[in-house]
Order: sequence, then structure tokens, then C-alpha cells
Amino acid sequence: MGSSPPNRLPDSWAACKTMALTLSARSLVKRYGGVIALRDGSLEIQSGEVVALVGANGSGKSTLSKIITGAVVPNGGHLLLDGTPIQFPNPQAARKRGIAVVYQELSLIPDMTVAENIWLSHEPLRFGIAVNRGAMRDRTQALLDLFAGTISPKLQPDTPVTALPPDERQVVEIVKAISSDPRLIILDEATASLDTNQVNRLFELVKTWKEAGKAVIIITHRMEEIFRVADKATVLRSGESVGTVTIANTDEKTIVGMMIEGAVTPEQIRIPTTALESHVRLDVKRLNGGRLRNVSFTLHDGELLGLGGLQGQGQVDLLLALFGLIPHSGEVILNGKSVHFRHPADAMKQQVAYVPGDRGTEGLLFIRSIFENMQLPSWRKYGIVHRRHAARKDALASAADLQMVYASLDDPVSSLSGGNAQKVVIGKWLLRQPKLLLLGDPTKGVDVGAKGEFYALLRQLTEAGTAILFYSSDDSELLGLCSRVLVFHEGGIRTELSGENLTRANLVAASMGTAHEHD
Amino acid sequence: MTRFTLTPPLIALILAVILFFAGGLINPDFVNPAQATNIVRLAAFLGIIAAGQTLVILSGGEGIDLSIGAVVTMGAILTFRLTGGDNSLIWVGLLASCGAGVVIGLINGIGIALLRIPPLVMTLGMTGVVQGTILVLTQGEMIGATPPLMRQLIAEPLILGIPGVIFIWAMVGIGMWVLLERTTYGKQLFAIGVNRTVARFSGVRVQWIVVLTYILSGLLAGFGGFILLGFAQTVFLQLGNNYLFPSIAAVVVGGTLLSGGKGSYWGTMSGALVLTLIDSLLRAAGLEQAYQLIVFGVILLALIVVYGRQRSLRQ
Repeated sequence: MGSSPPNRLPDSWAACKTMALTLSARSLVKRYGGVIALRDGSLEIQSGEVVALVGANGSGKSTLSKIITGAVVPNGGHLLLDGTPIQFPNPQAARKRGIAVVYQELSLIPDMTVAENIWLSHEPLRFGIAVNRGAMRDRTQALLDLFAGTISPKLQPDTPVTALPPDERQVVEIVKAISSDPRLIILDEATASLDTNQVNRLFELVKTWKEAGKAVIIITHRMEEIFRVADKATVLRSGESVGTVTIANTDEKTIVGMMIEGAVTPEQIRIPTTALESHVRLDVKRLNGGRLRNVSFTLHDGELLGLGGLQGQGQVDLLLALFGLIPHSGEVILNGKSVHFRHPADAMKQQVAYVPGDRGTEGLLFIRSIFENMQLPSWRKYGIVHRRHAARKDALASAADLQMVYASLDDPVSSLSGGNAQKVVIGKWLLRQPKLLLLGDPTKGVDVGAKGEFYALLRQLTEAGTAILFYSSDDSELLGLCSRVLVFHEGGIRTELSGENLTRANLVAASMGTAHEHD
Repeated sequence: MTRFTLTPPLIALILAVILFFAGGLINPDFVNPAQATNIVRLAAFLGIIAAGQTLVILSGGEGIDLSIGAVVTMGAILTFRLTGGDNSLIWVGLLASCGAGVVIGLINGIGIALLRIPPLVMTLGMTGVVQGTILVLTQGEMIGATPPLMRQLIAEPLILGIPGVIFIWAMVGIGMWVLLERTTYGKQLFAIGVNRTVARFSGVRVQWIVVLTYILSGLLAGFGGFILLGFAQTVFLQLGNNYLFPSIAAVVVGGTLLSGGKGSYWGTMSGALVLTLIDSLLRAAGLEQAYQLIVFGVILLALIVVYGRQRSLRQ
């Protein structure tokens, strides 16, 4: 602390109190096709309040916040602003009514300057038409001064955004949101890429906003932050608001308890762990790269090791690093040999395979045929001039193994359903008979039937001795399938859960970065 | 097994046949075997030169090779000068023209894949460099001659009245088909054309494939220049320029997506036939040169608009 409270606010804010606001979301519903993202989303907030929105992966918190900001249109329920029902067709409409949001995924345009980004679409005008560049610059400076001392001198109104590191981009994102002097500010994982000083400053600001009569909704994966700034916490579980607690009268344990389903336990299809005596397939020591911070673990042949935690905590970075897709440092010992992969082709030579989570952008060539997609990693083994029949026979056999439903191998992948398309992504790697299989959230967007088949496949593979590293954003999959789960938090392994300790409560608690007692 | 569908290459081929007989309406002398042979012969030069362009466009990433025209000129001039009309030196010309193409393609590929220069800019810049190099090497004087054997083997009737260039084109066609449909390079080329991230995630060394593609494009253009000399018999600084725009147009008319990842060389072959036919028809119709150009351009645009509709299928 020690810094003077930021008082050089832009003129337009002129010390006057923000117009009061009350917002209540009541039983909001959002469906995507057959999937219900939000079943009963409710939330109450008014001026001068800081409400934390908490929930595990897929609990619906981002859907709820997106409905409030107009980014998503609900299928049911009501949103009341200042007592009158309202529905925002788009984010601009919400912003006009004084609702601003700071996302973690940055919405800045890299090639424009800081000032241009902040004032985009609400530029200060001269005579009502011409952009007043001087005013724009001054007001940007005033906004940036709110973070003075925590940002580098390089961050100026005229700096292009592309020249800024991630934390300062996030700062720009924050001041952009408050530039329109909103009545309600939503911070959606806004602290994730900030450093400690910036987080402290942001929370000081949150307090001044509160005093100025603004309302703040904070979504964070750090339990500690909730207790620092929030007045209340609204807890979501499986798309339902299960309650709101006053922070002063509660503790972490209570909130975690609300986040997990009490009675319902998922069907235990846990894969038996005879693996631990087997050959060590992978030994990782102090791996860094991307978001990863000193990750160390071992994986045995025939083991299905789960990677858990909230999304974006480094699980995918681990898979990418092991497959040679991102630069990394540290020691990776594969099958007793020290390796450092710089390209997937290197990893593939050592019988490593990676099934990415995003079929559309990372897994499939939609306009090419099923056949070509399945054989893309393997063509080389069919000779300089391909022995086409052999390649086709192998692809047919793999498709049959996976019970893929299709008309012809020559049809484009775009003709397949989601579950069958995912089978192509998996099939193309199984054709290579990997010894180490990296799975990046492979069941995302896959229907229940295909999921069941996939679980059976995992069992087959582990029985055949394949070592599998399995990241899933669905906690019940980790609990149901894995005998050991590494829980990631902010790039590191927060804890390792196995045996008795592998419970939903421990998984959720560790995901939120709270201390938990095990061993 | 294979279902009959009207694919763009097929449409182009049907269009070529229709255009040929439509020519008979304009001028009854147009439809005869000699004329047909002549048109295929003319199309063969364009087709060979457009082979490399097909690969580059298939590679995606806004891939285009604007240096093809200059490389064709370079290949022809090198052969013209190094052989000096001597039949026994033809192989020197062949090696020199292909070798120059490989070097130019390699530089293009490095600039595009490693230095990340946009293909349009890189190959346009390369055009200037190649033309300048030609001027430096020749000092503006086109000294040399075409070996008589080249004319006999390429431009004149070889077997059954069919000129050699048509056989060469057929061999290039078979070679391109094997390359695209039966080799790892071909499959990886389509993959990087559709989605470079997916390709990389599947173990494709994307930059290497891009470099190799521009090398092949240069090689085929250099070879095209060598072949063209056997027909043109003479060289001048703009010799290859007339083939640049048609080489791109032939690829597109043949149904290859300008955005890459989908297409075929047999489509380009059909496209080359269509373009050559339109050109011949306009000449036969006795239009003034200026109007020929206008009509040619309008027909091309119309064809591209029709094919462009396919692209929406990608989403």
C-alpha cells in the first residue's frame, strides 16, 4: 500500500456519486443445443456492493456473467435492472446502461494504441463529430495514473498495445472498462495475469469504486481474493445458483462445500491401479514453459494420470510442452532417455501422441476426407509412393475399432457428427500405436454415448500398457476414471490426489488454491 | 464406388468441349483435328508453367508465386544463350534453367516461411530481382540461338502428328498426380493449405513444406521456360510475363481454392485448356486486340465468381 489513493479522476467523473443501481438475475436459463449451460442462474447486487461469483468448472458462472453483459441471450428467466425487466441484445446495449466487463481473454486490438483502444466507439468528441485527440490522450493518462507505480513507464497513451506484456494489457483492459464510468463493473478472471502489486492496486480501486457507489461482480479462481474484497459470494453448482453467503460470516470450507454436489456421487468406473509397479514411461522434473512453473511428476506404463484444476491453469501447457509444441525447460525423461522435443515430429518418433481438445482448430482438416485426416500423421510409413491399399485397410480397421459411423472414408470430416469427428482425431493417433498418449480434454462437446465408448477405450488402452496423461475439464471424469490426479493451480501442481484423498471436495478445494489437509 | 459429382475440374473440361464446338459457330474452320491439336499444344505450355502455381496456391497462407513469369523468361534466356543453338548442349540448358528456378524458389521459400514475408510481396520483389539479374547477365543483348532438336522434340509433330510438348505435358500431369495423391509431401501440402495449426499438431514440418513448395514452383517455371523456348525460338525480356496471370487463372478456373487446401492439377490442366480456347475463340471471332482483352478478363471474373461460391462450404 502506502501509495496515495488515486484521486486524479477524469473530469467527467467529477467526484459526484454514481447513479444508484440494482440488478437482479432470476432463474436465468441458457441452453446450447441439448446442453444446459445454465439451469437456474440467480444473482442480486446493488450499488456499493462487491459480489463474488464462485463455482467449479462448467458451473455456469461465465454464462451468467455473459448474460448480464449482453454477450449471451438467455432462453429463460428474468434480468431486472433498477426494478424493470430488461434483456440486452448485445454488449453495447449493456454498456449504455452502465454495465462494463473486464475479460481475461483480451479484447484489445493489438495494432492500435492504448488510447485508441480505450476510447474505441466512445471517443471524446469536439463539436460532436471530430475526435478530440488531446482530450482522449489526457483522459487516458488520468486513467493510467490509477495504476501508477505498478506499471512500467513504457505504458503511455500512445503506446501500441502490441508492445505491452500481458499484465499491462490486462491493466489497459481494466481502465478501458471503467473509461465509460459504468455503474456495474464485472471482473471476469481479471487478476489472473496481473502481478501482486497490480492486484493490490486493483483491489484498492475496487474499494474506491464501492465507496463511489459502484457495484462490482468479481469472478476469480483464487479463494483468497474473494475473502479480500467481496462482501457476498453467490455460489453456482451445475448451472444452478445454490446460495449466497455474506463473506464476514463464512469461511472457505463452507463455500467449497456449497460448490460441490453433496449427495450425488458419479458412477465409479475407476481404472484399477496395478500400474504403479510397472515401467516408468515418463519422468518430468522441474518443467517450465508457457504457464508451467516447476512441474514434476512420474507416469507409469498402463497408468491413467488425471490433470485437474480450473481451466487454463497450465494443464494444456504441460501437454503442449511434452509434445514439442511450446518451448520449455527442465528435464523430461521418456522411457529412460532424456528428451527435448522441439517439434511434434520429434515426439511422434518416440511414440508420443497428443489429442487436442479443440477439434475444429487443432485436430481436424474439415474439408479433407476422413481417410486423409486419419492417416495425416502416418503417411510416411506407407512408402515414398504410398501403398494406398494398405493405408486404407489400416484406416478402415481403426474406424471399425472405434465404432465410427460414416458413409465413406472419402467423405469430408465436416459430414460427421461431433462424437464421430472426435473419433477421427483419436483414431489418427491410435493408428500410430502410441506408448504415451496425451489427452487434452477429449470429451468436450461429445455426446453421452460416445463418452461411454471413449471411457471403455481408455480402459483397453491402459490394459494394453499405454501410459495416458488425461486432462479433463469435467471433474467427474477425473474422479470416475483416474486413480491419481494432479491438481493444477496457476501453472504449478497444487497437490496430488489419490486413494482416499481423491474426493470431489479435495479436488474443488485444491482447484481454488486453498490449503487442504491430506496425507 | 465413386459417385458421380460435377466437380470444378469436370465443369471446366465440359466447358472446354462446349467452347471448342461453339468456335465452329463463329468460324466453321475452327472445328477440326489440326486445330484441336494446336489448342492442346498451346495449352500445354500454360499447363506446365501453371503446375508450380498449383502447388503454391494449394499450400495456403495466401500463397501465390508472382515470380513465375520472370523465371520462365530466365529459363528460356539461359537455354538460348548457353546452348547457342548447339543440340549437344541442350542438357546444359535444361540443367541451368531448372537450377536457376530451384535457387529462385529456395530464396522465395526462405523469405516466406522463415522471414514471414507475405508471398505476394516476396515473389513480386523477386520478379524485379530476376529481371534485373537477366539484364545484368545479358547486358540487354539477346545473344544465342535455339537448338533445332528442341524445336523438333517440343513444337513439331513427333508421333502420330502429335507434338512432343503434349507428351511432356501428359508426363507432368502424371507426375503431379502422383506427387499430390500418392506422396507424403502431397498429403502434407493439402494439410498445411487447410489449417497450418492442425498440420503442425499432426507432425507436419510446415515451414519445410512451404520452402519445398516454392522450390518446386521455381523448378517447374524454369523447366517451363526451357520448354517454351522450343516453341518460341526466340527470347525477349517479357517472354514469360504473358503466362503469369493465366497461370493463376488456370489454377482457379480448375477449381483449386485460392485460399488453399483443396484442388488438383488435373483441374489446372482443364483450366489451361479453357483459357487457351477462350483466347483462340476471341482471335477467331476477329475482335480487336483491346476487346479481346476485355472479354477475356470479364469471362475470367465470371468463372471465378462462380467458383468462389464454394468457399462458403469451408465454414
